[in-house]
Amino acid sequence: MKQLGIIFLILILGEFSNEISAQKKGRAVVCFQSDMDCADCEKNLNEYLRFEKGIKDLKVDHASNTIFIEYVEKKNDDKGFAAAIEKKGYKAEKISKEKYDELVAIAKDLHEHGQEVHQERD
Amino acid sequence: MKKSGILILIFLPFFAVSQVLEGVVYGNDKNKKQPLPGVNIYWQGTNTGVASDDTGTFKIRKANGNQILVVSFVGYETKELRVDDLTPLEIVLEPNLKLGEVKVVHKNRGTYLSAIDPIQTERINGAELHKAACCNLAESFETNPSVDVSYSDAVTGAKQIRLLGLEGTYSLLQIENMPNLRGLATNFGLTYVPGPWMESIQVSKGAASVLNGYESIAGQINAEYKKPDSQEKLFLNTFFGASGRLEFNGNGNIRVHKDMLTTGIFVHASDQSQKNDHNGDGFLDEPLSRQVQVLNRWKYNNHKGYMAQAGFSVLTDDRLGGQTAFERGMQPLVTNPFGISTENYRLEGFFKTGYVWPNQRTALAWLSNISQHETRSFYGLNHYDASETRFYGSAVLTRDLDMPGKHSVNTGFSFIYDNFSENLYNRQMERKEQVPGLFAEYTFKPGEDFTFMAGIRSDFHNLFGTFVTPRMHLRYNMGEHVTVRASAGKGYRTANVISENNYLLASARPIQWTDDIFQEKAWNYGFALIQYYTVWGRELQLNAEYFRTDFQTQLVIDRETSAENIILAPLDGQSWSNSLQFDLRYQPIERLDMLLAYRHNDVKQTIGGQLMEKPLTSRYKGLITFNYTTNLKKWMFDYTIQFNGGGRIPRVHEEWMDRTDISGDFFEFSPYTVMNAQITKYFRYWNIYLGAENLADFKQLNPVAAADDPFGPHFDATNVWGPVKGRRIYLGLRFNLNYE
Repeated sequence: MKQLGIIFLILILGEFSNEISAQKKGRAVVCFQSDMDCADCEKNLNEYLRFEKGIKDLKVDHASNTIFIEYVEKKNDDKGFAAAIEKKGYKAEKISKEKYDELVAIAKDLHEHGQEVHQERD
Repeated sequence: MKKSGILILIFLPFFAVSQVLEGVVYGNDKNKKQPLPGVNIYWQGTNTGVASDDTGTFKIRKANGNQILVVSFVGYETKELRVDDLTPLEIVLEPNLKLGEVKVVHKNRGTYLSAIDPIQTERINGAELHKAACCNLAESFETNPSVDVSYSDAVTGAKQIRLLGLEGTYSLLQIENMPNLRGLATNFGLTYVPGPWMESIQVSKGAASVLNGYESIAGQINAEYKKPDSQEKLFLNTFFGASGRLEFNGNGNIRVHKDMLTTGIFVHASDQSQKNDHNGDGFLDEPLSRQVQVLNRWKYNNHKGYMAQAGFSVLTDDRLGGQTAFERGMQPLVTNPFGISTENYRLEGFFKTGYVWPNQRTALAWLSNISQHETRSFYGLNHYDASETRFYGSAVLTRDLDMPGKHSVNTGFSFIYDNFSENLYNRQMERKEQVPGLFAEYTFKPGEDFTFMAGIRSDFHNLFGTFVTPRMHLRYNMGEHVTVRASAGKGYRTANVISENNYLLASARPIQWTDDIFQEKAWNYGFALIQYYTVWGRELQLNAEYFRTDFQTQLVIDRETSAENIILAPLDGQSWSNSLQFDLRYQPIERLDMLLAYRHNDVKQTIGGQLMEKPLTSRYKGLITFNYTTNLKKWMFDYTIQFNGGGRIPRVHEEWMDRTDISGDFFEFSPYTVMNAQITKYFRYWNIYLGAENLADFKQLNPVAAADDPFGPHFDATNVWGPVKGRRIYLGLRFNLNYE
């Protein structure tokens, strides 16, 4: 029981520290719409982009065809990331964070819908 | 979220002119296509979706705007296809072994338990192989709860693995699904498989499929090398151990003709030329060694059902151990220091090919390998020289008996040829094993949640006669969270009495044996229960398993009956192993993978007429591993702690041992703990790792008995139960370049 408590504590602290890092100063966010279409492309792009200069957080998603990047403002800019994505052969159309959230939500919704279809058939 | 879905539903199909697209969905189950019912098929960005019927068939309306078809099913990788016309589709889904996973950004978990395979199998992939430094198959199990690795003695550096508390010889070792590393390669074979060459390892416990032969009494370990048609272009690894170990590995893939004909070249070299004697007993803690190995493999795939692979490898391995003063080139004489020298030369080739008929219901495969191995060695004054030529060939025909693939059959034949020639104590031994065999296996799989597999084989051994091997496996998913497995089967094994036990020559007592070849027989029964739950948004996996192995005949090493000899004799009485294991896998905080495992070993054997605990075997093993990666996986931290239980040390009973002042330590070893840690920093094309093995520097005291008088009557370097080497710090670099 005591150990469970400790695990729980670590869990809370972990979440808390993530919260703090998300609000750090000097950070900027940029989102792109792309044309990956496949899970392997997502993986390749993710592998490449995570070593871009200044990058602090990255979400590449082929289902919604979106890329989310959080980075240190001084170290890189939107153009730098767009160039990196294009270098790998994919489209990099800059979109707003709102549009990004929307696209991700639609893709997720569809995915959940898919899961429901399966469960009904069981 | 629901609202936006409805919005799309309203807007999208307005201008659509519908046409109907048809197709069939199959699941790729062990390279066989099984029609998949209940698969979700929908157009990306729409809510137009259908599910496939019992034969895997589906029909979906295609509107003008619809282009990307998404095909998804729990337990399989989601597939997205660009569809431009109405040509009927045939879609094959690859199994996604993390059953029920919802695709978010995920850590690549190193080891996982399959929920689909009917046999209890742990899959160790590239991510896990990065957690331990290097360098070969023996060292790839340090973070694994099921496999124990130990030294067979204190002087040769030979390593043994144990599965279910039983020696590695009771597990079928395979490379690329073909039996390998047996006979003369038994003692050092695990070091012949360089870690960086491997793509993955599968460890399955209990009886294996009859397709792989009559062996595998405790389980089966299969190592897959990197494939020449993979994305990898070039990979290099260098390793520096603070104790003087140097390693270099590299492999490169060349696309000779598009992705149809590809070749891979692998090289490996390792060197230990620094003498280490940290416990000051005058004996090297590890032998000086040099190993060079080269492999070239080819793959042809016409992408229309035919595939062929072939390759060959060359290896030389040279070890020199014993007293620190013994130098290369010295003769084994009483007037010289005590030396142990082993030289191995090995040539290997393999060829495998397969064809899948266009109807996807029938497949034919051929697997074969050949090896030529030579050993020249001496242990003090005793010489052991041997050579072995071995061939293995197997043809398997796979056929689905009905359209949805509920019933399928594998049948075929195999042939083993093993020509052995060895010489010990000036006694020359020659023998030839020739074993043709026939096998058949039936699989019943009425749905995703149930598999029943029954197999039987009959082998016609030129020395041991005809014998029959029955095996059975069952898997059942009880609802979403629980998978149960049961297995039972018989196994046989040819014990090469001397070559497998020649490390016993590192003792003053000569080996006494009657037959130089012997057949071991055992039954194995197993039961496993795996549970998956989502706790605080992350998957918790619990596994409990029990395996029992019952030997009918066995070769027993008796070091306790006679003060003059170590006796290798057939079992007279009972011998068994009970193994009970629990694992828990979870991510307590994001990106921190945790594994807690505990195994209880109850291994008993009749030695010299008395049923007792098998010596030098830990009664339990506990393991905790942590793996943490930073957000973008630029840093990785690994920590492993192993708790090894105590056990029995074999001693020949002498009267003075009855004295009350003889401490219990003389007959028993105490529990001990080993820790490993590693830090890896990733860059785009390369990564660097720094680590330490045996961090707490735990060493077995006096691993060599009578080390000051190695030619005397009490010398013995075979009573080894714990680490001989202390803390070892290492540093390595890996470089890799991929095809786009």
